[in-house]
Amino acid sequence: MVFIAIIIGCILGAILGIQAPMISYTYSSYLAIAIVAALDTVFGGIVGVVNKSFDLKIFVSGFFTNAILAILLTVLGQKLNVDIYLAAIVVFVWRMLNNIGIIRRYYIEKWTKQIEARKNKNKSKETTAKEQ
Amino acid sequence: MKKEHIAISLGIMCFILTFAISIQIRTVKNSNLTVSQSYEENNLRAEVLKYKERYDNAYNELEKLEKDLEEERKEASTEDTELKNLEEQIKKGNKIIGFTEVKGPGVTLTLSDSKIPTGSALVGDLNDLLVHDMDVLSVINELKNAGAEAISINDQRVIPTSSIVCGGNIITINGERIGVPFVIKAIGLPEQLAALSRPGGYLSILSDYGIVTDLKKEESITIPKYSGVIKFEYAKTINK
Repeated sequence: MVFIAIIIGCILGAILGIQAPMISYTYSSYLAIAIVAALDTVFGGIVGVVNKSFDLKIFVSGFFTNAILAILLTVLGQKLNVDIYLAAIVVFVWRMLNNIGIIRRYYIEKWTKQIEARKNKNKSKETTAKEQ
Repeated sequence: MKKEHIAISLGIMCFILTFAISIQIRTVKNSNLTVSQSYEENNLRAEVLKYKERYDNAYNELEKLEKDLEEERKEASTEDTELKNLEEQIKKGNKIIGFTEVKGPGVTLTLSDSKIPTGSALVGDLNDLLVHDMDVLSVINELKNAGAEAISINDQRVIPTSSIVCGGNIITINGERIGVPFVIKAIGLPEQLAALSRPGGYLSILSDYGIVTDLKKEESITIPKYSGVIKFEYAKTINK
């Protein structure tokens, strides 16, 4: 259910994004940092789904505050001639990797459990067959 | 929390995400930059900006000092009539050689490259479609012939020592590079200057080639002063 929604969202976004007008090159650095923030939020949301602790308010507010703060940091960095946005990117990517780790662990555990359960079922079937 | 809500909000977020990503990809592709190229370009841009800033600072300082000089001159010449006359002479001289901003009636002439598409059958030589240094030079000459007192091209004052040089797709005047459209301003009797567009004149020849010429009479135009330095190393005044 959740993943179908994600895939539909991605496809729709890509189709509409191809048709959307281009932005000027000056703003593309701001958009890039907003994209990284959004990626971070999406992975955070998936982790929330996995942990069953998903909260819509936290999810949406996290998206906007992260993106806006990152953009503001980029602007500040340009004014100060320091690449502050690198710090934001490092934090976002670090969190993203953490979240991906959590998601990966959850699904691997789930699948191994399923496989083991299936094996046990087969074994129990075999044993019952032998016994009969 | 309902599962549908989670799915919808995540879907919307993914929609925003991919939307932004595809816009970004297209923007970056359109600007046609690889990372190293943009890095190099940024460095060059920063360098240019630095130099420009230095130039601006120096120019501002020059302007300030010139103002100071004028003040000093005024102060010195308030009491002495002879000095006052000299001051007037200096002002007049500056006006003639282009060291002061001037204002008056005249014409504005815009020259830009032909709008005929390059693949058109009308085009013999691609060079005919462009405004060349020689065209600008001839137009300036005609303007002078028609009695123009002060001329500027794209806000570069034309002074007696100005040269107009071809520099590829741009022209160089007073050492500054300028490109199309060339906005030529000239102060003089507007009716006389407007005679440039007469049949058989240089402008009509240019427009025959498809070059876009636009001549406008103006009530009042301002022509900036020459911002460089005139060197007189070899020419010496003769004391009779």
